[in-house]
Amino acid sequence: MIHGVDLQIKDGEFVVFVGPSGCGKSTLLRMIAGLESITGGDVVIGGEQVNDIAPADRGIAMVFQSYALYPHKDVYGNMAFALRHAGEDKAVIEDRVRKAADILGLQDLLKRRPKELSGGQRQRVAIGRAIVRDPEIFLFDEPLSNLDAALRVQMRVEILRLHQRLETTMVYVTHDQVEAMTLADRIVVLRDGRIEQVGTPLELYHHPENRFVAGFIGSPRMNFLAAERSGDGTTVTTQGSAPIEVPVSPRDTQGPVTLGIRPEHVELVAPGAGDLDARVLVAERLGGETFLHFDLGDEGDFVVKTDGGATHQSGDTVGLSFPPEALHLFDAEGMAFAPRERHALIG
Amino acid sequence: MTDTASSNRARASRAKGVSTRVAVHGVLAGYTLIAIFPVVLVILNSFKNRRGIFTDPLGLPGEGTFSLEGYATVLTQGDFATYFSNSLIVTVTALFLILLLGAMAAHALAEYRFRFNTLLGIYLILGIMVPIRLGTVAILELMVDLNLVNTLLALILVYTAQGLPVAVFILTEFMRTLSRDIKDCARVDGLSEYRIFFEVVVPLIRPVLATVAVFSMIPIWNDLWFPLILASGDATKTVTLGVQQFIGQYTVNWSAVLASLSIAILPVLGALRPVLAPAYRRHHIGRRQGLTPHHPEVRRSVRTHATRRPQVLWRGQGDPRRRPANQGR
Repeated sequence: MIHGVDLQIKDGEFVVFVGPSGCGKSTLLRMIAGLESITGGDVVIGGEQVNDIAPADRGIAMVFQSYALYPHKDVYGNMAFALRHAGEDKAVIEDRVRKAADILGLQDLLKRRPKELSGGQRQRVAIGRAIVRDPEIFLFDEPLSNLDAALRVQMRVEILRLHQRLETTMVYVTHDQVEAMTLADRIVVLRDGRIEQVGTPLELYHHPENRFVAGFIGSPRMNFLAAERSGDGTTVTTQGSAPIEVPVSPRDTQGPVTLGIRPEHVELVAPGAGDLDARVLVAERLGGETFLHFDLGDEGDFVVKTDGGATHQSGDTVGLSFPPEALHLFDAEGMAFAPRERHALIG
Repeated sequence: MTDTASSNRARASRAKGVSTRVAVHGVLAGYTLIAIFPVVLVILNSFKNRRGIFTDPLGLPGEGTFSLEGYATVLTQGDFATYFSNSLIVTVTALFLILLLGAMAAHALAEYRFRFNTLLGIYLILGIMVPIRLGTVAILELMVDLNLVNTLLALILVYTAQGLPVAVFILTEFMRTLSRDIKDCARVDGLSEYRIFFEVVVPLIRPVLATVAVFSMIPIWNDLWFPLILASGDATKTVTLGVQQFIGQYTVNWSAVLASLSIAILPVLGALRPVLAPAYRRHHIGRRQGLTPHHPEVRRSVRTHATRRPQVLWRGQGDPRRRPANQGR
């Protein structure tokens, strides 16, 4: 179910739909493709309302999560299928398939059957099949989720290069926020069939409009602390800290609020010197960086990302300092208070 | 665990593996013998004369008993060629209709969401539970009204109706397991729903179609009931009905009966081939899989792997007592 989604995608843009499973991102993509019927509202492609136009006539090509290759056709046959069906000239088909195969490095695999290919190769064929059709819009439905981690990173870069090369509009669905951040010109965060926020990756990272987006974008996820307000409603205390002035526009002075800060923005200081003192529960050392988990009572897990050289041990007490410009403030409904200044990178 | 202990254990498990395999093959061989025995007996005796059949039913045809009189009778007396072609026409046409209509119905039930989908599915497979012969009288009346008695069409219609429920049931279950993406992909590629069915779905379900074909074919080919009731005229007799002419009230021409049965077995064997062939092929592909199947080293290692695997599964899953030994190794 999709509710009141109003979204405009510019020509040549790379837009990523992201959200937890069941949020409707795939359904929305399938609506654009024409695979899902629309009970209300319009889908418009290139100025033309396409609600009742068949998928094949919408000028789209789609890449599926399961690759969806025809197992009884070889790579060439798979890539040529749509064109053959459209009655395209044999020489034209040959030419287009060869070109797509060149782009994706599939030249030597054209005679293979899908079952003789690895996961990455299959996905490349699936993308090649889309390129061959020379669509106005590429639709990707979680194309990388069946690949292993290393291959996923490699294919991510390939898709990005493909977009730079073809400059075609691409709409990409994923539940992986890293894919969304790295690929997108603009990200659409969805939840329960509604758009939570639309923006560039950095906009979403620095200025999430609500608590859901704040928690969804970024890894590890943002820490949230319940806070009490004083003054004009933007000065808060949490966990018995000294009052902290959050640089957001004041809205009201009553009601509970939540303070949010990303793990990478918390600074570690000597006990007593920061806003809060906390005991290290677990230190996860990844080599280049270390994640320290703190127990802040009712708040659950509180994570701080610090560099790999940190010497903190489980059981140590550390001071946590919150730089005001990195703080986010959310009201009881989870709506963010507007920041007084936009981040320098966003403008 | 010491080396000797582990090697003792390995030897014991190997010995156990061998004895298990001998037992399994023994049971399978025994069953095969029992299943094949009557067929062999029919074929053997079809090459004997009447005396040979009765004096030594189990003996091989030899001097004094070998005779082709049964085949000669079958091919000259009566119109066996017509019966045979009637059987073929009825079986092939009914099979074609069962597979075509069954697969289409199954595709619709598995692919499209519509009201009463489940109810319709149940209605279509209800026929599995109701033997079609219960309706013989009604069917006969219907065929008389339609003026179809003594036509092959009557048989084709009845057999199609008889085969559809099982076909729809098996094919629907299988089609539900087909990836949705591949059909959507074909839609985006611009195929009509009919072409999606014929060009994408049918190639994917070919192995199941073959299985359904054999399961549906054998009862049709062997049926005596409906030919006797609906098409007993000389021009529309099927093989099973045609054989009856050699079984008289007082004398039975056994040579001819057995000869005609032997001939009638042939098409069934032919039909089994497409079903058995994929199984056979799968067995061999399993051994060949790998990027360079022709490299002798790969071949050898793959083969050992393939032949050993069932044993490993057996040990790991069937017998929990073996697990500690596996972990220790």
